[in-house]
Amino acid sequence: MKALAHMMLVLGSLFGGGMAWASPITAELSTDRVEISTGFTGASVLVFGATQNPLGGDPPEDLIVVATGPTQGVVVRRKINVLGIWLNGPSTRFPEVPGFYALTATRRVWEILPEDERRQYRLGFDNLRLRSEGNRNPAFRAALLELKQADARWQEYAAPVSRAGERLFSARIAFPATVQTGDYQIEVLLARENRVIARQELSLRVERVGTAADIASLARGQPLLYGVLCIVLAALAGWLGSVLFRRN
Amino acid sequence: MQVYLPIAEMSVDALLLLGIGFGVGWLSGLFGVGGGFLLTPLLMLIGIPSAVAVASAANQTLGASISGLIAQWRRGNVDWRMGLTLFAGGLLGSALGVQIFALLKRWGQVDVAVSLFYVVILGIVGALMVRESVTALLRRRRGAAPRRKLHEHTWLHGLPYKMRFRDSRLYISVIPPLAIGFGIGILSAIMGVGGGFMLVPAMIYILGMPTAIVIGTSLFQVVFVSANVTLLQAWQVGSVDIVLTMLLLAGGVAGAQFGAAMGTKLRGEETRALLGLLVLSVAFGLAWNLLQTPSRAFTLSPIS
Repeated sequence: MKALAHMMLVLGSLFGGGMAWASPITAELSTDRVEISTGFTGASVLVFGATQNPLGGDPPEDLIVVATGPTQGVVVRRKINVLGIWLNGPSTRFPEVPGFYALTATRRVWEILPEDERRQYRLGFDNLRLRSEGNRNPAFRAALLELKQADARWQEYAAPVSRAGERLFSARIAFPATVQTGDYQIEVLLARENRVIARQELSLRVERVGTAADIASLARGQPLLYGVLCIVLAALAGWLGSVLFRRN
Repeated sequence: MQVYLPIAEMSVDALLLLGIGFGVGWLSGLFGVGGGFLLTPLLMLIGIPSAVAVASAANQTLGASISGLIAQWRRGNVDWRMGLTLFAGGLLGSALGVQIFALLKRWGQVDVAVSLFYVVILGIVGALMVRESVTALLRRRRGAAPRRKLHEHTWLHGLPYKMRFRDSRLYISVIPPLAIGFGIGILSAIMGVGGGFMLVPAMIYILGMPTAIVIGTSLFQVVFVSANVTLLQAWQVGSVDIVLTMLLLAGGVAGAQFGAAMGTKLRGEETRALLGLLVLSVAFGLAWNLLQTPSRAFTLSPIS
């Protein structure tokens, strides 16, 4: 409800401004914070806004929304069979890959922009810069893409950019329950005649709140104290259980 | 009902965790084993990262075993002196085990090595237990007098530093219990378990302790070794998830009491046969996973 009110306010100010458009595109997020509390099961954030010119006019204008999460390092290992047992065999390290990546657009990006533009703005899995160390076999890169998509951390066209009227647009970005904490960038691009004519960058913070945040920060900041607490809590729970559930 | 685990950084079904906790706790009370050897593979199976699964299972084993230990202690089934001797060896062994674990991690083979350890150890222990208890059951059925010697003297009884363990009715050297504690300490650090399932047969067959005392005393050792593992894991690895532990425990403490009550109704041979079968089936399940063609040829893991 709060998000909706906020959206109305933003849209109101867009149109209240009449013809005085500062930029060919104005976009906003339904929230700038995703809070991970104890009951967190994933979150969905709405990117919405308006364009100066009607979308899909002549020449057609297209919108592209890209969300990128904090970078992380990952290792992809191939399983090999040694004497009937499956072991971890050759591996490739990808020291800097986006922990989260979601792309959506009014059309497929390769229909909107030429390759060099797509590469510059990192549009699409093919254009992500995935520096690798170790085994050079392209199968490892393909496996990385497959595994990242399997747990919804990387998405392409998962939800469409929907339009309302001629100028309004919105797109949903779904964060899975396993989303990393940190700062996320959401880029909204407006393209016309094979090039990007306007872009707006929005940011979003994913953070733990409440009990989940307290536990995580204690575990990180005071690991020895946390360890002692874990022992005491488990022992107390065990003792309490033996009192509550005594069967004689 | 989904709940977010702050250290594992994922959300899982709370009811599933409660159910797993109850089942494992029930077995813990019934057999006097911590249940870590079931819990760790189960948690990994539902997608908990292996480091968190190992550490939180150790923490849960501590809590679940405490309620079992209290239940056994009320019945006077704990030999404190033997427990402390085993634990002294266990402390040293788990310290060495952590080093071995770190080495395996550097080689990128932790998952396979842990599974292999499980298959080999559980396979041997389970087979021995089933064989022994089936023989005992058959002998009883045939009605032949079980001509068991009160004391079977082996080279173990020639070792120095003898000590009297009155509750176990033993007068033996401290070296065998120390060595058993040490060996199980190493294995428990690598496999992320309290080690009760190995300790119970070792106490019966190697030390010759009476079955009634064995369960309570092994729980004593399991409680202290798992406390040590919890502390080391929280301190050095940061992988103990207290929310996960508590959910498992909530189910576990209830299950342990039911299990302990039922355990008193079972004969020693039957308890051992059932535990042996359970241990063997886990070993077969893990062996199957190692031999089966994986559903995905590649795995993805974060660089730590």
